[in-house]
Amino acid sequence: MKTTESSLSFAVAKKSRVPLAAIDARGGEAARKLGRVHVASAGRPSQASTFNSSL
Amino acid sequence: MSVILHGGEPLLAGPARLRRICEELTSAFDGIAALDLRIHTNGLQLSPRYLDLFSEYDVKVGISLDGDRAANDRHRRFADGRSSHPLVLKAVELLRQERYRHLNLGLLCTVDISNDPVAVLDALTELEPPLIDFLLPHATWDDPPPRPDGSPTAYADWLLAVFDRWQEQGRPVPVRIFSSVASTLNGGPSLTESLGLAPTDLVVVETDGSLEQVDSLKSAYEGAAGTGFDVFAHAFDEVAAHPGVRARQLGLEGVSETCRRCPVVRSCGGGLYTHRYSSAGDGEGFDNPSVYCHDLAALVRGIEARTPADTVAPEVADPAELLAAQEDLTRTLLARLHADLDGRGGERWAQAWELAAVLEGSDEGARGLDGVLAHPYTRTWLLDALDALHEGRAGAPSGAADGLQTLLAAAAVRAGLDVRVPVPYRDGGLVLPTLGRLTVSGPGERGTVLVRAAGDGFLAGPAAGSAERRIRRSAAAGPGWLPVRGFALPGDPFPGHGFVIDDLDPYRDCFGAPAAATLDAAAAGRLGDVLTEAWALIGERAPAHGARSLDGPLTLTPLTGAMPGEPSVGRHGYGALGIGVDGNARTLALTLLRGVRRARFRALVDVADLYAADGSWEHRMPWKDELVPLSGLLEAAYERLALAVFDHRFRDGIPQALDTLEGAAELTIGGKRLLALMRKEF
Repeated sequence: MKTTESSLSFAVAKKSRVPLAAIDARGGEAARKLGRVHVASAGRPSQASTFNSSL
Repeated sequence: MSVILHGGEPLLAGPARLRRICEELTSAFDGIAALDLRIHTNGLQLSPRYLDLFSEYDVKVGISLDGDRAANDRHRRFADGRSSHPLVLKAVELLRQERYRHLNLGLLCTVDISNDPVAVLDALTELEPPLIDFLLPHATWDDPPPRPDGSPTAYADWLLAVFDRWQEQGRPVPVRIFSSVASTLNGGPSLTESLGLAPTDLVVVETDGSLEQVDSLKSAYEGAAGTGFDVFAHAFDEVAAHPGVRARQLGLEGVSETCRRCPVVRSCGGGLYTHRYSSAGDGEGFDNPSVYCHDLAALVRGIEARTPADTVAPEVADPAELLAAQEDLTRTLLARLHADLDGRGGERWAQAWELAAVLEGSDEGARGLDGVLAHPYTRTWLLDALDALHEGRAGAPSGAADGLQTLLAAAAVRAGLDVRVPVPYRDGGLVLPTLGRLTVSGPGERGTVLVRAAGDGFLAGPAAGSAERRIRRSAAAGPGWLPVRGFALPGDPFPGHGFVIDDLDPYRDCFGAPAAATLDAAAAGRLGDVLTEAWALIGERAPAHGARSLDGPLTLTPLTGAMPGEPSVGRHGYGALGIGVDGNARTLALTLLRGVRRARFRALVDVADLYAADGSWEHRMPWKDELVPLSGLLEAAYERLALAVFDHRFRDGIPQALDTLEGAAELTIGGKRLLALMRKEF
């Protein structure tokens, strides 16, 4: 049953994706994504004012 | 620091006084903190004179408007009975002008259920504000809100009618109360103090300098907002330590016992503090559910029911989405490492980064790069490299460059790209991830070797030409070359869904138990055989969990001291498992069944929020009579469902576990979607 590593591969669903050099790695969306696996990359949470009586 | 000029009506202070306030605040915060200045007004006096001043100091403006004219006039008439509506509209129009648009915060609408919810929303959205919010009118248990038809959910019904209209309109503008519920349902923070468990960090500076808690408390009882402090004699830290302020920083501990047991508490947070007040008997004070309790629960559940399941956490139901999200996460980590290096990786990093772009430029190259980025221990390298960089470890940038060069050499070989990639070696050798270990020179020696794809393998040597060695990827182990050992699954109808025994990758030591040393050929062969036998056993007894249940190849790394039957998932990408090597085929079958599910569960948690506030409650694990956090119960139940197919005795306790999960407050909409699939599976 032994085979070579070359026949094993993930079949990732191909979507139109952003090239590596164009990924926004420091934006809010990236911070949320990275924060799940690397807390230090999540950055400080920023929260807008939550005052109920104004926007 | 947010400073909100509020009232009463703050424009009554006049432009000269407002200018002085803006000047003082701006200079006080200069160089200390970013200042977010806002004003909230009824708009009646808003004129270019004020707006020019606000533009100068970047003071953002929010306006109160209760909807259409009929709605607005219900509570906002002049003393002589005239409507204020035309003047408010004029103010909104002014704020919408190009020159002031950047100051426009949006519209704040106080709910009155006598108004037509559709007409109210239409009137607000017609003005194209950047944001809308709806406020429940202030009320307490002593002074409950009007409920003309007696319905305990009249306010939720009204808001959900607005929600439905808003959906119909295509959600033209964010509505804060809806965004907040959506955020908490998905595991994020609440966006307003009237909802959710986020700590409230507000203090009111009155015009006489006294420091108070939020103004809404005044509707509870006379003096409720008072702290006894003022700006002349006290620091803000003293206000922060005031028991009334502290009480609103406690999250789950700060809500009533009834609320702590309620499944929607993460979203409603017990409601606005003021709305909990009662002066009666045992419930005196704020340790009560909100007077809007039924409304809040119905609103949260109503918004949840209106959120189409297929728009949430698609990774839960679709393996291709999970793989794509995992790939995206690894690519984002790599891009983050590049950004954080900020040039410190030197020439070697820069060249490797350029090579990555070249690889991405062709289908073959992209496939080669994807192949190494999907390797679970690539994630481990990235996380270690980011840690080293953030902790300022010596040699971190150079180490990152080593890693990227090695990774790209493997990618170029997989892609068959005819380019020489320099790869550093240490201690006489190097591991090309997903390919194998190459011995270059004697132990202890270090240097750089050039690797170039050729035929079905690659050439490696210190320089181009005769000194290069040819390595065939399909060849068995030979002097100086030890390939990663790959195995197809027995009767595998899905080519590519086999497993590899990876006892080579230097980043594989990322599990709770230490990674074993590289196995000799005989031991690796024996392990491959018994694993193949275990997969055959799974195929017979639980075919749904055989080869077809795998989303991709499985990377198995032998560990030392691992518990038999207990697979490990560590700090790596999707698809790796650490296993003990001593078990027989049946033990290993259970290890694999449990392990594949554990790996999938952890991969989901890496890319989707299945629960929030984990650990805030404890849940009984039926088969162990043990209290665990929700994540522990969800993961164990998810694994046990697969084990139950293999051995029916594992069905014990699953129905109770699913019921417990059903009523848990921690589950997000994504988590509930997973739970629904688990029920279906059972």
